[in-house]
Amino acid sequence: MILPVKNDNIINFRAEVPDKKELKYNHDTLLNNNLLTRTLIGMDKFTNAITVYPAKGLKGSKNANFYEFLTMGTVPYLVGSAMLMTVFNGTSKFYAPFQKLMARKNGNKLAMGVLFYGLMKNISKSFINTPIKALTGIDTERPYAKVIYELPDHKDDTDITSIEYHKVFESVEFPRWDLLYGDEAKGEKRNYRYDKIAKKLGMGENLNDSDQEVKPRIKEIVVKSNLAKNISSYLWAASGVALAVQKPWENFFEVMTFKFWKGKEFTKTITSFGKNFVKSAKALYNGEGKGLQKHAGKILLGAAAFSTIFGVINSVSSSHKPSEKTASDVIDKNNRYEVN
Amino acid sequence: MGINLVQSYINSHTQQKKQPAQTPQTVQKPAPHFDIQSQLDNRVFIKPLKAKGRLLNGNIFNAPAIMLKDTLYDIKALKHALKGDANDHELGKLNDVGLKIGGLGIAGYLFTKRPTSMTKGMEFVGLGSFLASMAIWPKLAIQLPAYLIHGVNVQKEYEDSFGRKKPFYQDPQFIPWDLYTEEEIYKIGDRLGVDKNIQNRRELIQEKMKKIAVQNNTLWMLTAGFATPVMSALICNKTEPWLTKYFNERQNKKADYILNNIDKYSKKYQNNSIKNNIDKIIALQKDKPVTPELVETITDTLSEGIDLVTKESLRADVRNLFENKTFNITQNTAQTIADNFKELFSNRGFSEEFISTVVPEQSDITRFFNSKNLLNQNIEKADFAGIVKDLTLSIMKKVQRFNETAPENLREDASYVRDLILNNSKKNHPILSALNNSQSRTFDTTLQAKLRNIANILDGFKARNYVLDEYAIIKTGSAPETVTANYWNAAKKEMLKLFGFTSKDIEKARIDRSVLDTMLRDKIEKIVSNKSSYEKVLDALTKLISELHNDIKPSDMAAIYGGNENSAYEKMVDTVFDNYSTSLSDAGFTNVSKALTGAHPGDNVGTYKNIQKAFVSEKLLGIESSLHRMVNNLIYYRQIAADANSIPALRAHSREAKEELIELCKIITLQGHSSDYATKFYQKRNPHPAEDYGKVEVADGKVKNKYFGKSAEMADIPVDKNFYNDAMRLMYETDIDKDTMQILEKNLMKDKIIRYRTLMLEKIGGEYYFPKPRHLIRSRNNTPSDIKFLLTGMATNDYFFNAIQESFNSNKWLKTFAGFGAGLLGVTVLAQFFFGKMKNPEKAGK
Repeated sequence: MILPVKNDNIINFRAEVPDKKELKYNHDTLLNNNLLTRTLIGMDKFTNAITVYPAKGLKGSKNANFYEFLTMGTVPYLVGSAMLMTVFNGTSKFYAPFQKLMARKNGNKLAMGVLFYGLMKNISKSFINTPIKALTGIDTERPYAKVIYELPDHKDDTDITSIEYHKVFESVEFPRWDLLYGDEAKGEKRNYRYDKIAKKLGMGENLNDSDQEVKPRIKEIVVKSNLAKNISSYLWAASGVALAVQKPWENFFEVMTFKFWKGKEFTKTITSFGKNFVKSAKALYNGEGKGLQKHAGKILLGAAAFSTIFGVINSVSSSHKPSEKTASDVIDKNNRYEVN
Repeated sequence: MGINLVQSYINSHTQQKKQPAQTPQTVQKPAPHFDIQSQLDNRVFIKPLKAKGRLLNGNIFNAPAIMLKDTLYDIKALKHALKGDANDHELGKLNDVGLKIGGLGIAGYLFTKRPTSMTKGMEFVGLGSFLASMAIWPKLAIQLPAYLIHGVNVQKEYEDSFGRKKPFYQDPQFIPWDLYTEEEIYKIGDRLGVDKNIQNRRELIQEKMKKIAVQNNTLWMLTAGFATPVMSALICNKTEPWLTKYFNERQNKKADYILNNIDKYSKKYQNNSIKNNIDKIIALQKDKPVTPELVETITDTLSEGIDLVTKESLRADVRNLFENKTFNITQNTAQTIADNFKELFSNRGFSEEFISTVVPEQSDITRFFNSKNLLNQNIEKADFAGIVKDLTLSIMKKVQRFNETAPENLREDASYVRDLILNNSKKNHPILSALNNSQSRTFDTTLQAKLRNIANILDGFKARNYVLDEYAIIKTGSAPETVTANYWNAAKKEMLKLFGFTSKDIEKARIDRSVLDTMLRDKIEKIVSNKSSYEKVLDALTKLISELHNDIKPSDMAAIYGGNENSAYEKMVDTVFDNYSTSLSDAGFTNVSKALTGAHPGDNVGTYKNIQKAFVSEKLLGIESSLHRMVNNLIYYRQIAADANSIPALRAHSREAKEELIELCKIITLQGHSSDYATKFYQKRNPHPAEDYGKVEVADGKVKNKYFGKSAEMADIPVDKNFYNDAMRLMYETDIDKDTMQILEKNLMKDKIIRYRTLMLEKIGGEYYFPKPRHLIRSRNNTPSDIKFLLTGMATNDYFFNAIQESFNSNKWLKTFAGFGAGLLGVTVLAQFFFGKMKNPEKAGK
């Protein structure tokens, strides 16, 4: 019979070998959403995605889980991007000089398109997150560290804990509300985070149960902002590709070098990048020719901007109007009710 | 030694269970008379809902229904998400929707940036192939091999109780095994080779299935990044020729349609922009005096879409239309002259006293016109000289008076002042420019009506001319994906195969042209050394060339000298140009009429009509000459290989000269450019050849030279006109044998090749080159150099050099990435043979 696993801080699953592996967290911990944390989390996930998780997955480990599978999802993204660049440019070095020149001209633009796609896709999420956080106080991307207890691989396996990095609202059905409560032992008010959100959302101050009041609104905002991110980030990514195929970049490719140790040439690369970025952005916006050809850039940028603005507005506006009925309208104290 | 944690858990759990002894708790005894059945009947317990999940079995037949269902689900998800009610699954689906919208955004934008139908189409093929590759790779490289090897579908999907479609093995920690029946699981177990007598067999089978799925999902994640771009690029690469073929046929049909329905199709271009703009000018300028600026504006407006040369004729016609010989002198004329003088004398160092005394004011000029009875009178252009003379004289008198009274330092040079006034162009002349602008003619209703009529004619002409241009460009334009360009590109690939170029040859010859020259010659010599191989290649070559005429029928379009000189296109050009030329002539625009069609019927040279025809015919001439040249090369090489000594052009020469001639012609046919023909073949030869009139020796298509290239003394011999003449005869006049003729006739190339050879002798052989004046095989002619250039066509070695470079590039790419893709697929499949290995539990078999 399989016994239920119960961990109530009395039973310590970890072996008494602290010098072997000291975990950064011993319980699920809310983390600050800042550049440092995001970078560290990103590095941790990336390292695991290319080392530990593939090794576990290929062995068919019984502890392999959905988080690991999703984290490994960055591998095809990164490898695929590099591969796309290789497909466009990989064989041009074998071509005759003029053909090489022409092939590289296009290949470089497409490679830059891949780069800008990735950059814009990631950067553009903050176009939604930042205003929503400013307007509602809700950080939809707030990370937390989750401590995982695994099954031992063999009877002497003592290394059965690991850390996963999740986001408080990554599941809209099961958000980690518990992590947002204040630690009263540290002198924090239990609902202080919910209080702040309630205040920002205009639901009032000093509410008795601010958590219960704001949770439905938070959930609604998270869902709407996820939708906005899902749509707008791809449109911004598409705009990135469109930016990369503009003619001015050809001037940049002529002076481009990655040899950062060659100070003068590298500085020229940076300067040229900046200048041609501006020129390309203008070229994308202004377009050439007439009709759709001329305005395609504006339409694409407009669609991306619209999806962002609309997404933010939709996120911060409540779709669920408060009921006009009060509790007294619903429950008549003089009546008897039976609850099943 | 480590600690067995499970054991320690059980121990501590047991201890916990013992704890009640230390901390007494109130143990609740079961209620008396507890009857489970009555409890259930009375619904005291909340029963779980009956699971409605099910495994999904997708196949090609229900794919459209599934696709529709998925789309409806996505729409529903979008609706929910907009309201903030979506669940995790719905949000996940919307991420895929975003991916597709973004993809469409990229393809749509790039679509607008691409110039041709094919490249535009390829943008969407690219998106489709990328999305398809993302879906196909896991099915092809993961799901299918795993199923064949282990009998487990690792990409199985299920629908949960809420109708949400999910991958069965998405989360290895939560797999809904209950959806598989015992029978299904045991069947898979049998395939997996799990012992049938084992305890907990189902659990073991499930463990094994899970392990295979986890391993395969990991493999998928590790390989997809490499596979998807490569697979997508390969799909695009293989789709491109089909798409090219499709668009080529579509374009060709469209071109044929528009030529046959020119009136209907020209409505697309009939935007009446010229007439509309003329109407705008009329609205602004009606009944106002006609000025040179107005004439220029009207010329610019009428010449929309017309070349600059024809525009000059148009300008002359507009001037004629507006020309009026009377001019009206008014106060305004006087004012303009005064202003012009003021501007002329300012900033030139004249003193203020001088300017105030000498430079006339408006009142002075008005007085002058009054004194001559010119004010508000009509004058003619012939009167201008007198006015200029008198007015200048009156100013010069003032200068003289000023110089007489002014101190010496303020005096001015009278001759300088006179030159300043008179030495000006008409446009800048202070008096003449004002007089010219005082034309008395106004932009009256007669002129307006005439202009509207002209604008209507030109709008119609412009629209039809655009249609003719469109037709010509689709068929023969110097642009990618025209009918001729598509043919040319496709033919190049075939030519390489036909002449036996292997991928190794291509790799060797792609950089160094001299390597290619030797290789090409060796290949041709090898082909012609054998009658059957020669005839086979000649047959295939002529067949390939004749395919051009499937797309461009000689009855529709023809090269100059190439055949039907009164093709459908030319007839249509004649009709359109002649009709509009007549209409313009009738409307008084005779200069433009002449520019379009010439002064007399049949007067074609230099007319717009001729340019319209030449655009097509010259292009075709260049293409056909390049291809016909290849046929002639093969024929010449075969003639040398078969029986060189019987060729009349060689008979009179010594063996050394024969060897020189054959060698020269072998080089010229393959490598000669129009300049080589024009300079009458510069060749270093032995000025004192050996007195050997024996036969040349030929083996395997090659001449075994006894003398050629062995003399120490070598020089070009410009006086030897016979050598040139015989070289031309050797290449273009040697009788073609019967069997070759039959092949040419079979592929409808006989007349074309005969005509090509004749033209080479006539037009090129009659070309005069002054350092070698008598080197003419036909009478001297005045064929324009562009025609001679087009007749020579592209040198065969240039053609093949270009072809092998393109072939190398695409083959290199294909070989590299197809090889990589195949290798990746192999490794991915192979890896799966090592998946799912598990130790049988200890209890197994007991």
